[in-house]
Amino acid sequence: MKIEQLTPLLPAYLARQRWFAGSKPSSVGVVDHAQLSDRLHWVLAEADGARYQLLIGMVAGLPPEFLHGHDPEVLGVADSEIAFDGLLDPDLAKVLLSRLAPDEVVSRVRPMGAEQSNTSLVFDDRLVLKVFRRIHQGLNPDVEVTRALADAGFEHVAAPVATWEENGTHLAVVQPYLAGGTDGWALALTSLRDLYANDGDDPADCGGDFAAEARRLGNVTAKMHVALADALGTGAPDTGEWAGLMERQLERIAAQSTWNASARAVFEHLRDMANPGAAIRVHGDFHLGQALRTDTGWFVLDFEGEPARPLDERRERSSPLKDVAGMLRSFHYATAVALRDREDFEREAIVPKAQAWEQRNRAAFLDGFLSTNGIAGLLPADPADIDGALTAWELDKAIYEVGYERDHRPEWVDIPEAAIARMVPG
Amino acid sequence: MSPSDANTAVEVVQPLELTDPNWFQKAVFYEVLVRGFFDSNDDGTGDLRGITDKLDYLQWLGVDCLWLLPFYESPLRDGGYDISDFFAILPEYGDLADALTLIEEAHKRGIRVIADLVMNHTSDQHPWFLESRQDKTNPKADWYVWNDDDHRWPEARIIFVDTEKSNWTWDPVREQYYWHRFFSHQPDLNYDNPDVRRAMVDVIKFWLDIGLDGFRLDAVPYLYERDGTNGENLKETHDFLKQLRKEVDEQFPGRVLLAEANQWPSDVVDYFGDGDECHMCFHFPVMPRMFMAVRREQRFPITEILAQTPEIPEGCQWGMFLRNHDELTLEMVTDEERDYMYSEYAKDPRMKRNVGISRRLAPLVENDRRVAELLHAMLFSMPGSPILYYGDEIGMGDNIYLGDRDGVRTPMQWTPDRNAGFTKADFARLYLPVLMDPVYGYQSVNVEAEQRDQSSLLHWMKRMIDIRKQHPLFGTGSFSVVNVDNPSVLAYVRRQGDDTVLCINNLSRFAQPAELPLQDFDGMTPIELLGRVPFPKIGELPYFITLGPYSFYWFQLVDHGSAPAQ
Repeated sequence: MKIEQLTPLLPAYLARQRWFAGSKPSSVGVVDHAQLSDRLHWVLAEADGARYQLLIGMVAGLPPEFLHGHDPEVLGVADSEIAFDGLLDPDLAKVLLSRLAPDEVVSRVRPMGAEQSNTSLVFDDRLVLKVFRRIHQGLNPDVEVTRALADAGFEHVAAPVATWEENGTHLAVVQPYLAGGTDGWALALTSLRDLYANDGDDPADCGGDFAAEARRLGNVTAKMHVALADALGTGAPDTGEWAGLMERQLERIAAQSTWNASARAVFEHLRDMANPGAAIRVHGDFHLGQALRTDTGWFVLDFEGEPARPLDERRERSSPLKDVAGMLRSFHYATAVALRDREDFEREAIVPKAQAWEQRNRAAFLDGFLSTNGIAGLLPADPADIDGALTAWELDKAIYEVGYERDHRPEWVDIPEAAIARMVPG
Repeated sequence: MSPSDANTAVEVVQPLELTDPNWFQKAVFYEVLVRGFFDSNDDGTGDLRGITDKLDYLQWLGVDCLWLLPFYESPLRDGGYDISDFFAILPEYGDLADALTLIEEAHKRGIRVIADLVMNHTSDQHPWFLESRQDKTNPKADWYVWNDDDHRWPEARIIFVDTEKSNWTWDPVREQYYWHRFFSHQPDLNYDNPDVRRAMVDVIKFWLDIGLDGFRLDAVPYLYERDGTNGENLKETHDFLKQLRKEVDEQFPGRVLLAEANQWPSDVVDYFGDGDECHMCFHFPVMPRMFMAVRREQRFPITEILAQTPEIPEGCQWGMFLRNHDELTLEMVTDEERDYMYSEYAKDPRMKRNVGISRRLAPLVENDRRVAELLHAMLFSMPGSPILYYGDEIGMGDNIYLGDRDGVRTPMQWTPDRNAGFTKADFARLYLPVLMDPVYGYQSVNVEAEQRDQSSLLHWMKRMIDIRKQHPLFGTGSFSVVNVDNPSVLAYVRRQGDDTVLCINNLSRFAQPAELPLQDFDGMTPIELLGRVPFPKIGELPYFITLGPYSFYWFQLVDHGSAPAQ
C-alpha cells in the first residue's frame, strides 16, 4: 500500500479525534512515514501548522470485533483494506510495545482512554504505553521531568521504563501501571457527595472527610518541588515577567471588569516582592485530576504542561506556588461541580458545606505543603508574601478559567467568576 | 496437680479424623466466652456443658472450629488470662470431664475446639510463683524474671499504660523486683530456664493429648527479654515457637497454633516462620480499616494495608475478624509511618468515641444491617479464615456502661424468655445482666426469633457460610484486586484451579457504578452466588455494573455454555 492512498482519508479522520486541536483541518500533509510491520504504518502528519503522530492499522475482510463502537477511529478503506487507529488492535499494540521495550512479554492489552494530547494502553495491568499525538519538536516535558524526578529519588511518579525517540523528539513512553489507583478528582467528589448528603455542615464530622488526603497531597506536592529544584535546577525569579504575563492575560480576558484595578494591584504586589523565592521547573498544569491515589500514596501524573502552549514556554521556570494555586483552584471546582449535581431547590442550603469543605481542605493541603522539609527555601521568605503571591497565582488561574469556560462551557463561567469575586471584590 | 496426675484422671478423646492437615485454612472459627454462652446448671454463669448443649446450633450455623476464651483455674483478675493452674478447669465452668465431653461431642459434629493459652505469664497466685517468690534459692527461684533493681530493659514499653507505671514490681517477700509485661499480678515466666520451657510444652501436650485441636497463643511476642531491645519479637521467642511447633507436628499432626501478635503485618509474618512456626496469626490492622473504609466511602484504607501485607508461607493462614472480646485496638500503631489509624481514625469524632472501649459490631455500624452484611461479605471473601465473635451472628448489642471489656461480654441471647434463655438462675445471680434495651435487648434480638425468620441476619450469615464452604478458594485461592476508577468500589478476584469468584463491594451509602476491566475473563458468564442468577456475559470491553448502597456481589465466573460448577 502506498502512503498516498491514505492521505485523502486523513482530514476527516483527524477532525474526529479528541486530541486534534482544531475542528476541521484546512490542509493535511504527510511529513514522514514508515512501515512498522506488515499491518502497521507510522505517519507524522501536519495539519494547520501542528504535527500529529498517527499509527494506522490495516486489516482485510470484515471489521474485527475490536472496532465495534469505534467508528470515529476508522479512517476508511484504502487498497481494499480497512484502515483504522492501530492502537485499537491488540496485536498491533504489542508490535508497538515490543519496538520500545523488546524484553517485555505481555499477553493482555486494554485502552486506558484518550487524553487531550496522547493515547494510553495498559498491558497486563503492569505497563502503560503512552503514545503522544500532538508532536512538538524536542524532548517531551512529561518524559523529561518524570525521569529527572525519579532519578532525584522522588518516589511519587511512574518512572519511564522505555521511550521512543526520533531525532531528539519523543514519540512514546512506557511506564509502570499504577494499579488500583483513583484520581484525586474522583476522591474529592466522593467526599463532597457524602458531605452534601450529611445532616451537619462540618466536613470534619463527616465520614468522607478528605482533609487527611489533602494534607498528604500537599506534602507530596512540596516534595515534588524540592526534587524538581534538585534535579533541574533553580533560577532567579523574574516577578516582573510573571506579573506582566498575568496583566496581559487580564487585559485579554477581563479588561472591562469592575475588579480590573484590584486585580492589577494584586499582580503589582507580586512584581514588587523583594524576596519572592526561587524559580524552578513546575508541573504547570496541576490539578486533582493529575494526582492519583494508590495503595502506596499519591502519585503525580502528566508533566506535559498545558499542551496548547509551545514547548519552550512550558519549560520556563516558575514559582512552586503556581502549582499550589492550580490545586487550590481544583478544590474549588470540585465543590462547585458537586454542587451542580444537586437539585436547584437544595443548592442554597448546601453552599455553606461547600465553603467549609474548601476551607478545610485548602488549609490541610497548605499545611502539608508548607511543613515539608526543604520547601521553605523555594518560597517567599515573608509568610505574608506567600499569601500575596499565592493570591496572584490563584487569581491568574481563575482569569484563565474564565476565558476557557467562556469559549468552551459558557454555563460554567460563574465558577471562576465566583472565585475572583472572593479574591478581588469589585 | 502435675500433668501425669491429670492424665490418669481423665480419658482421652479421639482426635477428629484428619482428612486435611490444613483444615484451618478453610475453616470458619467462632469465638466463645465460656462464661457467656449458656448456663447448664442454673448458677448464673455459663459453663462447658452449656456449650456442649448448644453444639447443634453451632453445627447448624456452619462453624468449623470453636475458640474458647480461657477456662483454666484463675483468680479472674484479667478475665482468666491470669492462670493459676494450667491443668485444671475453673470450677464455675465445670471440670476436666466436662471439657472432654465438649471436645468429644464437638468432634462428633465435625467441629474442632481450640482454647486460649497464656504462655508469657501466670497469675501471681500460681503455685510456681508462690514458690519462686519465697527466696532466691528454692527449686523454682529462677522460673520468673527477678532483678535487684527496676532499671533493666528500659526500652520495653509499658503496654497497659493506664494501670501500670513500670514493667517491674517489688516483691517484699523475696525482696526483689519481678518482671511483668502486662498487669503486675501477672509475672512473666523466665523462658531462659529450660525447666520453664519444658513445663509449658508439657502443658500444651497435656491438652493436645486429651483431644484439644490447638491453641490461640495469647501475647506471644514477649516471651524473652534481652538487653538493649524492647523485648518484642526476639529471635529467641521465634526459636522457642519453632521448637514447640516441631514437637506438636511430630506427635499431634493437624493441630493448630494461632498466634496473637498484635503487631504490624510485616512483623507478624515472622510468626509463621518458614511455615515451621505458627499455623495462623491474627491480622490486626485490617479490622479497624474495614470500618474506616466504610466511613470514608473509599477502599484505600483496606487496599493500603493489604498492599503492606507480605505473602505468607505455604500451609499458613491469617485469622480475620471484625470484632472480638477486646476493644478496637490501636496498640500496634507505634511509629509515625504506621500512624494512619491515629491520624485518620482516632481524630474522627464518631470513631473516637469507640476507641478504648469495647463495642460490638452492630452498634459500631449504628445497627445498619446493610453495613453489617457488607463487612461480613468482605470478611468471608478476603484472604484468611474468618473468626466470628459469639452473638455477632444475630446482631447483638453491647452495654458500654458495664465498663472495661465487659460491655461486649453479656450473655448470649437465645430466646425472648427470662434471662434471654441463657440461664434459669435468678436475675440477680447473672455474672452480667442480659441486654434489655428496646433495640438490642433479648426480646427483639435472639437466636430463636432469628431462626424462625428466614430473612434474619442469622439466616443470611448461615447462607454466606454455606456458600463460602462450597468454594475452597475463599480459604486458599489466589487474591487479586481489580482496578476500578470509582474509589468507593472494592473489587477482587479469588481463584483456585478452575473455580473463579469475583467479589465487588460498594463501600458507599449511595448507589455506585463501576467499570471493571475483566478482559482476562472474556467470554465467561458471572453467576451471582446467593441466587445463582446469571448476569450478562463478559466481553472485551470493561464490564459495567451498578451497585446499590453498601451492596456487594459474589459472582462465580463460568465458561459460557457450561453448567456452573457446584
